[in-house]
Amino acid sequence: MGMNDSGICRDNSFTGRSRIRAGLRIVLFFAAVLLLLALSMLLGPSGIGIPDLQSPSGSAILSLRFSRLLMGMMTGAALSASGVVFQALLRNPLAEPYVLGVSGGAGLGATLSILGGSGLFVTLGLPVVAFIAAVLTLMLVYGIASQGSSGHPSVYSLILSGVIVSSICSSVIMFLVSTASVEGMHNVIWWMLGSLQPVSSGQQLLSAALILGGLGGIWLLSPRLNALALGREMAHYQGLHADRVLVAGLLFATLLAATAVSLSGMIGFVGLIVPHVMRAFFGPDNRKLVPLAALGGGTFLVVCDALARTILAPIEIPVGVVTALAGGPFFLIILQRRMKQAWIA
Amino acid sequence: MEQAALTFREVSAGYKHRKVLDNVSFSVMEGEFVSLIGPNGCGKSTLLKTAAALLKPLSGVVELFGQDVHRIKPAVRASLLGVVPQKIESPMAFTVLQIVMNGRISSMGRWGALSSRDNDLVERSMIYTDVFGLRDRYFTELSGGEQQRVALAMVLAQDPKIIMLDESISHLDINHRQEVLQILMNLNREKQMTILLVSHDLSLSASISDRFLLMDSGRLIKAGIPAAVLMPDLLSSVYNCDLRVQQDPYTGNLQVSGAVDSLNRRKKLNRSVHVIAGGGSGIELYRRLLIEGYEVTTGVLNRLDSDAEAARALNIEVVLEQPFSPVGNEAIAEALKMIDKADNVILSQVPIGSGNLVNLQLASEALKRGKTVLLAKGIADRDYTEGKAALQLVNGLLTDGAIGWQSIQELMLQLQQHSHSGQ
Repeated sequence: MGMNDSGICRDNSFTGRSRIRAGLRIVLFFAAVLLLLALSMLLGPSGIGIPDLQSPSGSAILSLRFSRLLMGMMTGAALSASGVVFQALLRNPLAEPYVLGVSGGAGLGATLSILGGSGLFVTLGLPVVAFIAAVLTLMLVYGIASQGSSGHPSVYSLILSGVIVSSICSSVIMFLVSTASVEGMHNVIWWMLGSLQPVSSGQQLLSAALILGGLGGIWLLSPRLNALALGREMAHYQGLHADRVLVAGLLFATLLAATAVSLSGMIGFVGLIVPHVMRAFFGPDNRKLVPLAALGGGTFLVVCDALARTILAPIEIPVGVVTALAGGPFFLIILQRRMKQAWIA
Repeated sequence: MEQAALTFREVSAGYKHRKVLDNVSFSVMEGEFVSLIGPNGCGKSTLLKTAAALLKPLSGVVELFGQDVHRIKPAVRASLLGVVPQKIESPMAFTVLQIVMNGRISSMGRWGALSSRDNDLVERSMIYTDVFGLRDRYFTELSGGEQQRVALAMVLAQDPKIIMLDESISHLDINHRQEVLQILMNLNREKQMTILLVSHDLSLSASISDRFLLMDSGRLIKAGIPAAVLMPDLLSSVYNCDLRVQQDPYTGNLQVSGAVDSLNRRKKLNRSVHVIAGGGSGIELYRRLLIEGYEVTTGVLNRLDSDAEAARALNIEVVLEQPFSPVGNEAIAEALKMIDKADNVILSQVPIGSGNLVNLQLASEALKRGKTVLLAKGIADRDYTEGKAALQLVNGLLTDGAIGWQSIQELMLQLQQHSHSGQ
């Protein structure tokens, strides 16, 4: 607890040893991210190691691996950052895009556009349709939860109505799939299982723009998200437009989740668990947490994808299976030891 | 003290279907220390929320330093007015420093950067509230008193001109309460900070406040210096229990003591009361009479009447008649026997119709037998008999010496006064 001469604690973020430790942890984290991303470039169904860059097939393999890396970074970052925001806004460790029905709504929108649309409409319209459907779902959830309360729904009613609307969405998806043509059924199911197969470059660019926009928006909001951790009322007393922050946060988080779903299908686990693990390591300050969780979520998904395409090669396991199967036990151990640093135990 | 810091002008406020504040007007002057008191649910918290622009008034205006609070930008409002809620809860593991920094949120730059003035304010408010040493601890691990001091530090970091505290100290133990109050007094005296404290501890508030605001059922009943508001009769009727006010011989502070010790004082009353009630009008009477230590009998009541149920549940001796039938001679004779044994007879605020008019005749019989009879006032509104027979009977009883009562509190006092006259 050293007090430096310039003031009692000039920096006001951490003091002495704990500050150095926090800095060291971030450096280690970046090193691990780089290492893991490099490692994932070495894994693939064609074998482990760098493919022969002289041959055209070798460089094609490497560029395919790289575009899957980009897909994974985008999807994972979007899901994880969106989870951070939902958890911060609702002040609840269970909140995430799936629980609030946002992913379900986005999935329904995407299914409709895969089955109904064609050509350019599918590739470029998919993220937009998914986002619109997700926003509509969120409004429905919010509307249902607000019934009977005086103005603002409680977290519990939000989560409850979110779970209900979410299951309605998945039932409708299943109904649509069961009545679809064989080809449509194949497309939707393949998409639903979740995969980081690169989509068209147009859709990739659009999604990248949407995700970068969403992440930027959330990062701008992040100091205000901290104030909302003490509740709407307290944030109001401290001079925030609390409701505006809430709505903006929900919209950005929904944009991220919907884009991720339209890009890679229904990949669970990332949006719920990665934020918790990052919070356990780096604390709940959203200014740090948002970028770190985005990076962590992206890297996690990239690694899972590398494993998914390698373990049973040439068969590819859906990446959503790997996220929970491989990530589950690993994260459970971390959380058991460090949960106190994230949420009150 | 020349300027008004907070002014309510004929403010009514509340929620969707429920009006809580009813035409409240008052001013708190700059530099004043004011305590807002009143029973639970009287609208104190709603008043604070309205003052802080969290609730929009249904009518009327709330002014902060002469400006309509709803026209002040949130960030500016936060620099004028800080609110310490009953309790702050952080589900996530924020450190004390991170919590206190929230007090500067509205002046932070885009990326949440704090200026050196922000940092100074954060530091100073932590030192002032003695939480600086806790700054790297997790907020959720602290004791209740420490958490409350952190909440105060966070609000102080806003550097407001008025601080409102919503029962923030009621649940602290005595030493922490003294400590927080000491901090508030220092802020008030040294920095001329205006303080509005919602409080349940009347004695403690009396020793530190310039003025009291007393609320009841959404209305402001009385405002003034502590000695003017802490009147035993006024408090007793607002809090609906027996309260005494004494002056501490050493400090001169006013001390309000509650009903609990007076309840013990009266446990051994050896007096009995017969209650004539019906339709649920007796339940509260039974409860209060039993608490005060009276022996209670009641009747005549119809079976299935809610008063009959209550009497049975409270183990009160009761004369019953068949449901929905007029009271018969047998029941009347039995009730008269009870009245003979009782010292006083009380008539509740029961509506009188032809079916239970006989109960009034019981009361008049009691008066003839020399009992003190206490009648609830306002019979005219409850008289459903033909030709206003009940009204005539009651007026006759009153001229013959029966005593009228308005509130249960008043009734209890009258019972005390007439404790011997009935024997």
